[in-house]
Amino acid sequence: MTSLPRLRALVVDDEDLARHLIREYLQGHADVEVVGECENGLDAVKQIGALNPDLVFLDIQMPRLTGLEVLELTGRRAGVIFTTAYDEHAIKAFELHAVDYLLKPFSKARFDDALARARTLHASAAASAASAPAQGVEALVARRGATLERILIRDREQVHVIPVEQVECIEAQGDYLAIEVDGKCHLKPQRISEIEEQLDPTRFLRVHRSFIINLAHLQAIERPGPDRHAARLRSGKRVPISRSGYEKLRELV
Amino acid sequence: MHPFLADPRKLLVYELAWLVAGVGFATLLRLNDQADWVGALCFTLPLALVWSFDVLSAYYVCRSQPYRQRRWPVTLSLFGGASLLSGLVFLGAGETLNYIGGDIVRGQAFVTMPSAAWVMYFLGGSALYLLSLLAHDVLIAFETVQEAARREAESRVLARDAELQMLRTQINPHFLFNSLNSISALTGFDPAAAREMTVDLAQFFRRTLALAERERITLGEEVTLSEHFLAIEKRRFGKKLNAELRISPEAAQCLLPPMTLQPMLENAIKHGIRQVDGGGTIEVDALVRDGWLHIAVVNPVARDDTPASGHGVGLKNIRERLAVLYGQRARIAWQRSDTRFTIEINLPVDKETGA
Repeated sequence: MTSLPRLRALVVDDEDLARHLIREYLQGHADVEVVGECENGLDAVKQIGALNPDLVFLDIQMPRLTGLEVLELTGRRAGVIFTTAYDEHAIKAFELHAVDYLLKPFSKARFDDALARARTLHASAAASAASAPAQGVEALVARRGATLERILIRDREQVHVIPVEQVECIEAQGDYLAIEVDGKCHLKPQRISEIEEQLDPTRFLRVHRSFIINLAHLQAIERPGPDRHAARLRSGKRVPISRSGYEKLRELV
Repeated sequence: MHPFLADPRKLLVYELAWLVAGVGFATLLRLNDQADWVGALCFTLPLALVWSFDVLSAYYVCRSQPYRQRRWPVTLSLFGGASLLSGLVFLGAGETLNYIGGDIVRGQAFVTMPSAAWVMYFLGGSALYLLSLLAHDVLIAFETVQEAARREAESRVLARDAELQMLRTQINPHFLFNSLNSISALTGFDPAAAREMTVDLAQFFRRTLALAERERITLGEEVTLSEHFLAIEKRRFGKKLNAELRISPEAAQCLLPPMTLQPMLENAIKHGIRQVDGGGTIEVDALVRDGWLHIAVVNPVARDDTPASGHGVGLKNIRERLAVLYGQRARIAWQRSDTRFTIEINLPVDKETGA
């Protein structure tokens, strides 16, 4: 035991008793130290950033942000053990991507198994970012749910949760997305093709190489020149439309 | 409405068939030397048009005598009378056309009508109408059978949906597994509390199973069930969850469908209390006023909460169930302000007889 490196663990669950149980199960493992506990997703985002724990016990169904949203915001992939009571959708995804998870209520033996695996992975720390479970988590976060319902943006210490229906348009700017909401512009590091895949294709349309618009905010299609089109949004903003974008738009509207 | 009249395409095909019949009739008249071509066509085509609509009226005659409620003497005299009347209409229409042709248009009748033809027209018209009545009877019987089959399938689906709904409400897996996890945690440091929670969970499920089989239960019984539910949830969420139930004695005796209040509380916890950092209090008021049972549940909500998926499904289920059981007589409404969510139900007062 003493030869093993110490593991610093964070326990995230909105139920006091659930956190208590994990702490109790961890008492038998002298090499694991609980460095923090969080009772909601927002708190978890902050703590993961501040403490950079080696291991996170992460509940899926939480107030404010779900477990997967926490991972999206923090960019954390390795050293995560999911816990959930019942979530058919999540469990299928866990199985598919070979990610470790604990189904509540879980036995001490099952818990120890998961911990042992996490320890082994952590020991080969160099490979951890590229490990199979970490890649599984990556796939899980990128493809969660059927369609994206809210966009999460981290702005230093603050987290903005934006319902997609409020988004007017999204513009690709280098490695960032500029997301227009109520006259404000939020920056998020993500590729436009990635968010295009996550958004509901009947409500959002990529009208240009670097623009996605929310069809509910579309007011008119203008024609500033021969063979050139632009979308006027309700806010008054104008967005260029490419030729293929115009074809797609005509099919939808 | 007659199926032909409701569907323009069917009507067109039907009228074309009559057009062919009209031309056939004209040919017959011409071959019998009763008319020249122009006269025959001027006579038969308008007649076919009038007649095509006249026989459709048989549909309404048949409908006025639903098969199961028929008293045969009445039906037979009605069918016979209608047929004879139609024979007269046929004859009258023919005569009128001839009159128009003879006295107004060209000074010569469209067709010659000997008195033997009168009888023929009258009997032919009556027979045709009788035929139409019988055909419509078959058509309606066929429609009725189809409709009954469709309705039966529909009610089977509805019944199965309701049953599944009930089962899901009874055994909400999320609630069950989370509660078991809490009990598992409690056994380590507070065995007495673990035991109490086990008993509450057992009582909740036992009562749910017993009550769900009944069509109506008293609000008092539902409140007892809900108290077990709240006791379990209080263990899970600790100080975050408080509840104040103010049930008037009169309201407690009123009948309502089982699992009406409990899902409202579940909703208040899931989308309200759980999302608020410090938690809060759920307030339940139930009272009787002017013959109405009035139930209101108020809970705090997070100010900046952006609803995740599944929001309001539970409430829609309650609304659908009440609509099925009460129709227009039940009212359910909810509204959300910045910090509070209110849901109100109004049901007509219904008390256990002899209780």
